Amino acid sequence: MNTVDPSQFARSALHRTRPDASPAQDAAAACAVPAASGHFDELRGAAFELPGAGQQTPDTATTKASGADVPSTGIHTAQAVQSMPFAPAWAGFFDALGTAGLAQLDQRTRDLNQQIHDNGITYNVYAQAGSTSGPQRPWSLGLFPFLLTHADWQGIQAGVLQRARVLEAIMADVYGPQQLLHKALLPAALTQGHPGYLRAMHGTRPAGGRYLHIVALDIARGPSGQWWVVSQRTQAPSGLGYLLENRAITSKLFAPAFKQAQVSPLEATYQSLVHSMRQLSPGGGAAHIALLSPGPYSATYFEQAYLARHLGLTLVEGADLTVRNQKLYLKTLHGLEPVHGLLKRLDDAFLDPLELRSDSTLGVPGLLQCIRAGNLLMANAPGSEFLESPALLGFMPGISQALLGEQLSLPALPTWWCGERAALDAVLHRLGRSVIKPSYPGDVQQQPFEAMLGKYMSAKERDELAGRMLREGNAYTVQSYVPMSQMPTWNTSNGGTIQPQSAMLRVFAVSDGATGWRVLPGGLMRIASGAHEVASMHSGGSSADVWVTQGLKEAATAATSTQLAPGLVPTQAHTPAPTQAPTPAPVQAAMPSKRVVTSRAAENLFWLGRYTERTECTLHAAQHILNRIDVTEPTHSGDTMRHWLGALAVQNSLVLPSVPSLAKSPRVFERSLLAALGAADNSYSIGFNLQALKSAAFTVRERLSQEQWDLIVQTELDFDQQSQKLMAHGGDIAANEPINQPTNEPANQPTNKPAALSAVTPSAPDVLGLLAATAVTLAAITGAQTDRMARDDGWRLLSVGRLLERLQFLASALLAGLEHGSLSFATQEDASGQHQTGYNAMISLFDSTTTFRAHHRSRSDMAALLDTLVLDLDNPRSIAWVAKTLRGRLAKLAGDGPQDQYPLAQLVPDASQWQLADLLTCDAQGEPQALCALLSGCTTAATQVAQAIGAQYFTHAHVSENSIGA
Amino acid sequence: MRIEVTHLTRYRYQPQVDNAQHVAYLTPASSPAQQVRSHSLQVSPQPGECESRQDIYGNTCTFFSIAKPHSALCVTARSTVVTLPRPHIESTAPWEAVQAQLRYRAHAPYHSATEFVFASPYAPRHADFAHYALPSFSPGAPLPDCAAHLMGRIHADFVYETHSTQVNTPTLQALAQRRGVCQDFAHIMVACWRAMGLPARYVSGYVLTQPPEGQARLVGCDASHAWASVFMPTGIAASTRELGDGQWLDCDPTNNRNPGEDYITLATGRDFADVSPLRGVILGGADHQLEVEVTVTPK
Repeated sequence: MNTVDPSQFARSALHRTRPDASPAQDAAAACAVPAASGHFDELRGAAFELPGAGQQTPDTATTKASGADVPSTGIHTAQAVQSMPFAPAWAGFFDALGTAGLAQLDQRTRDLNQQIHDNGITYNVYAQAGSTSGPQRPWSLGLFPFLLTHADWQGIQAGVLQRARVLEAIMADVYGPQQLLHKALLPAALTQGHPGYLRAMHGTRPAGGRYLHIVALDIARGPSGQWWVVSQRTQAPSGLGYLLENRAITSKLFAPAFKQAQVSPLEATYQSLVHSMRQLSPGGGAAHIALLSPGPYSATYFEQAYLARHLGLTLVEGADLTVRNQKLYLKTLHGLEPVHGLLKRLDDAFLDPLELRSDSTLGVPGLLQCIRAGNLLMANAPGSEFLESPALLGFMPGISQALLGEQLSLPALPTWWCGERAALDAVLHRLGRSVIKPSYPGDVQQQPFEAMLGKYMSAKERDELAGRMLREGNAYTVQSYVPMSQMPTWNTSNGGTIQPQSAMLRVFAVSDGATGWRVLPGGLMRIASGAHEVASMHSGGSSADVWVTQGLKEAATAATSTQLAPGLVPTQAHTPAPTQAPTPAPVQAAMPSKRVVTSRAAENLFWLGRYTERTECTLHAAQHILNRIDVTEPTHSGDTMRHWLGALAVQNSLVLPSVPSLAKSPRVFERSLLAALGAADNSYSIGFNLQALKSAAFTVRERLSQEQWDLIVQTELDFDQQSQKLMAHGGDIAANEPINQPTNEPANQPTNKPAALSAVTPSAPDVLGLLAATAVTLAAITGAQTDRMARDDGWRLLSVGRLLERLQFLASALLAGLEHGSLSFATQEDASGQHQTGYNAMISLFDSTTTFRAHHRSRSDMAALLDTLVLDLDNPRSIAWVAKTLRGRLAKLAGDGPQDQYPLAQLVPDASQWQLADLLTCDAQGEPQALCALLSGCTTAATQVAQAIGAQYFTHAHVSENSIGA
Repeated sequence: MRIEVTHLTRYRYQPQVDNAQHVAYLTPASSPAQQVRSHSLQVSPQPGECESRQDIYGNTCTFFSIAKPHSALCVTARSTVVTLPRPHIESTAPWEAVQAQLRYRAHAPYHSATEFVFASPYAPRHADFAHYALPSFSPGAPLPDCAAHLMGRIHADFVYETHSTQVNTPTLQALAQRRGVCQDFAHIMVACWRAMGLPARYVSGYVLTQPPEGQARLVGCDASHAWASVFMPTGIAASTRELGDGQWLDCDPTNNRNPGEDYITLATGRDFADVSPLRGVILGGADHQLEVEVTVTPK
């Protein structure tokens, strides 16, 4: 309704009313749609009433009555508004951009989206356990920054600082003397009656003496330009990571404007937080601080990982931690390491299953004891959730007076808690112009409702609501509706328009020493999507970088008045002196301490390695078998090749052991193998392994490069889609050839037949094409693992996992060849050429054809084969190489001790002792006993090492936690 | 009356437990109604750490942890308590007046009983509780009458049936099925009382089951017991309309009587979750068997 077609505005008209505007401003104005009627137009620095928008405008009379924001301009035509001059900061921004830059905004939008994709910035929308596909979506960042003038910022900063002090004082009172309760300045229903009030914390003096280290305020600008507090976040506020990414991208996209605007830097505030946490924690300056995350399923996991990296903190989950003697420890590969502080992103209720929610699997039993004993600093201290109730806003002015003797300088939107009869009576008649919010938004037990906008409710709905409010007043809070200011956003459609969107700013105050606060100069702007009036990332909104500018205004003024060259920065005398404490000498970036490998990450890396290798082996075996099955050839019991291939398929779970053997029923066998390749139920073939590979990667997502993660996701997705497609349509062969059971095959074996057989079976050539494509991306994943990951102990375990799988695969395959006679020490002349076929097939399965030919040319004796496949210490596909490398990795894992004394490494056969002559020796029955013993020794070792690693490194990660009660 | 209580809790685990952390509320509180003469808490295997503290309501809670593998846990609390006759509690205030006084008004003085008006995990707010409670709150009735009436109705309407509910059965379900054990009845009474905007607490303890001559044997013998406690203001000042101090009146809906000298209080809280006798988080021990033996004997 409020959209305006920019083409209807003639440039000439703009020139008349904007005499000072530069060409860039004119060009921007020509495509800049005015903000919706009654909303503050950030671009033009005022709110305007547009004609014909009466239905959509909030009732200004009531807003006036409530004391909230009132727009005071008269009615303007959209055309008149469009020709209004830009606010100085925005004028400066577009001048810096220039007309050329303006013409490139579509390109910059593409660059921005590419950047977000490349950086892997994501937001899990409907994150839920067990689902690793789908829920992630790219982080949404608008092209333009939000510009805040230094003067505006001064007001916000002072108000936020003050409110942070009040909130800290409330915590100290509620968990201490409770004066606010006794003086009736704070209703008991909002503290003792709030599920987030933690009795277990009562009387606790937190480590370092302060409860709060991070306070986030959501503030919105009303029509008059006044900023209003809409809500307060203290429990586990999100945004500090995302806003850094926003800054990194936006400042690069608009580098000249960014430089000219002298945007306040953010880094010192982050350092202040970490520094304060260290200093106040029991560990002091050398304290180990970790970021406690709910895990990869949490909506904001990306930023938790990002923030941890940025701040130099260890990213941990509850399962990584343990409490001993009221102290917190991190379970690492090499034992327990003390933790002195936690920056928590976990909701309070889940922190400690011993004292809080007993069904929590995300917390650490005993954590509250550590906090009460003063052995752990937690930011923020548990128990602050009640501060987040919107109901509290109405009591803040009185509390501020009582505790600090100060009047709040940054007001909150007028807010009424309906548990107070007088307040309820006052708001019942004005629900239509209000927002109705739950007083206890996090109360799972009482099933809170979503915030409601009264103007969108029918009279009947409002009556019903009023009835509920009369019965359960405590649960309802009513807040004045104020239209949020609208900031310019770039809309690439319609040839490119500057589209105003409602936006809300989240600002952060963080601790600065024992009692101080520091406000992050900037924040996270959240932009409502479309015509919505709720700015939330969860409901599909976008975000913007926030520039607190010191220069744009002055630069713009200078440019218009004295014709200074653009880009020239005014001297310090013209700049308002910053009243904020001068930025301290840049704190040393947190030393990236040697990365700790938690037991959980180690185990998941180990499994990532195993599944990657297992997928490669399985896929390789499938290719190998499918290339060698000729279903048209007659079967005969002496077909050693088919016996071996059949055994290989079973070993690698490509078919179920119950499937008729390849030697007997090649068609059924082939169909079973093809049908099982996808991720069907009861199948442990390639599709299953790819899924397992992705799940393992997901749990250690923060350790993988974006490239590797993308490859893994894409490989799994492509294989899944393609195999389903093949399964649905079948191949030419399967489609054209009715399933005729040859007479020598059992006609019906329902128990042995995988269910998928009844569906269409894909053709072998189609499947081989898919397998070849998958092999290529798997090789790329392997490359990323071997060549793109830091070689710490976590990587070593990944590598050990891979080597164990390879050892198992190669040794079993060779053993099966000997058992089934596809490889033979007996006569090498054979009329059918079976010997040669089996011989070459084995070399090919070991991926060693090239190596073999280089060394042995056309030989076909066992000595040559064993030399290449078993003994060659330079061939990464030989058993000796795998065993030797595995021993080396295991020894390195042990640390500095004498390598040969490491028990895990000793479990692996020592390849340097192997002798070709021994391996070629056969016993009286013609059996190569030594070779067989060596090979089964390798498979046994693979199993033993896997078990020993589990016992030594992952025991804590394995055992499940249970809550019990009597 | 001098009473000795032995409360034994034994867990058997399969597979063994590698690490365990527990909280026990097994130490009786001293109060005007009872004096603790002796108390001991034995844990086997020997815990690596053991520490007691007072919780927000003055109950003694004991944290202990066992950081070595064990396949059984045995916790034995032995207490000797002298109980005294409880004074008769008078309160003439009509329930509506008390309810009104406990609601928040700006500048109105805070009353410490207010905390127990609010919902808690085992006594959630729900219209069904208000609906069940209402017949016991006739207009203008004094609080003691309401309490006696409600307690009598719960006793009459509900079937006491062991194993009809689990420790974590929602109170709402117990209300709907009209059966349960003492813990459920206590929670129902608490939830009903709070549904009327009045303060109620949950009490865990024991009752002496050696019946006095000629009286029926009480239900709940040789087990830990639980009942409700409701707030009785001494009165409302005529001039200021302020709620005076008051006392908590214990009500045992399981036995339809007010606890006396034969009751021993262990701990008082908002509901079971605040004062469960023994709970813990164990690593391992996916299967566990629980035995509880309580012996209450007069000395």
